[in-house]
Amino acid sequence: MTEIKRESPVQFKVSPLKVEARDNWTVALEYDEEGQGPWLVDLAHKTRWDLQDRKVGELTPCDLAVPEAPGECTFADNTLINRMNRTQASIFHLGAEAPGLPDFSGYTDVTESTVFLALFGPKAFFIAEKLTALDFLDPAKKAPFLYQGPFCHVPCQIVTLEKAADGSGGFLLTCSRGYGDSMVHAILEAGSALGLRPAGENRFNTWIQGLQG
Amino acid sequence: MALTLTCPVCGKRNGYEFRYGGEDKGPRPVEAGLTPAAWCDYVHMNKCTAGVQKEWWCHRDGCGSWFTTWRDTTQNLEVAKPEASK
Repeated sequence: MTEIKRESPVQFKVSPLKVEARDNWTVALEYDEEGQGPWLVDLAHKTRWDLQDRKVGELTPCDLAVPEAPGECTFADNTLINRMNRTQASIFHLGAEAPGLPDFSGYTDVTESTVFLALFGPKAFFIAEKLTALDFLDPAKKAPFLYQGPFCHVPCQIVTLEKAADGSGGFLLTCSRGYGDSMVHAILEAGSALGLRPAGENRFNTWIQGLQG
Repeated sequence: MALTLTCPVCGKRNGYEFRYGGEDKGPRPVEAGLTPAAWCDYVHMNKCTAGVQKEWWCHRDGCGSWFTTWRDTTQNLEVAKPEASK
């Protein structure tokens, strides 16, 4: 069998300090001088599914319930389920390994067709507010929650996992694969004054484990 | 602030996130006995109301939903459903 190589749509200008080959992806685990945050992490290798069904609210992907209302999210066991609309939900597997795609026609694996980034740490939302009009710090919203809207003028799904009034916390962002390089360029440019640095998966794992207790 | 619209899924958002889908002309005409002229009128003719009209919009940069809402074309503002049509 021919060995395949899976490429992230995102390239940082700095080379990672530690990498790992995983499921034909080259995963950056750590970068030199990651700093004290905020951080931007490329998560293109994390498995993502799209789920569509007339009765999507009654399905239980990975034994988790699909949230009832659009914009709501379920986050448990490293799996994030985001209700998008009446008939659609997105599922992000944030752990090291993901289960196989269920044998049901409503699922589509969108891992290789989308960009997947995490922006988190101190002042993360001060960077976001330079790039979008979406209000992540809305007191009426309780994390995790999903926004579907423009970020750098690009239609995105954005899941806020943690937020605090001082602008710290973090979110996950997905958009079409073709926007990858422009998106990273714009985010790093907007975050340069606030110390935003590319970081590896280890940094992201620490944050996620902290959120799940 | 320019036009804002209320998406049934995402809530009130900037008008630039939406795509205009034309006036709401009601259901598609029944095909039995439909003349080309009547079909042409349905497809191409608009009322171009100067005031409050019902319109189709798509949340293009958000959830992608198509929905109808009411807009005052003289002020370019989304308005509540007029009393007469409730």
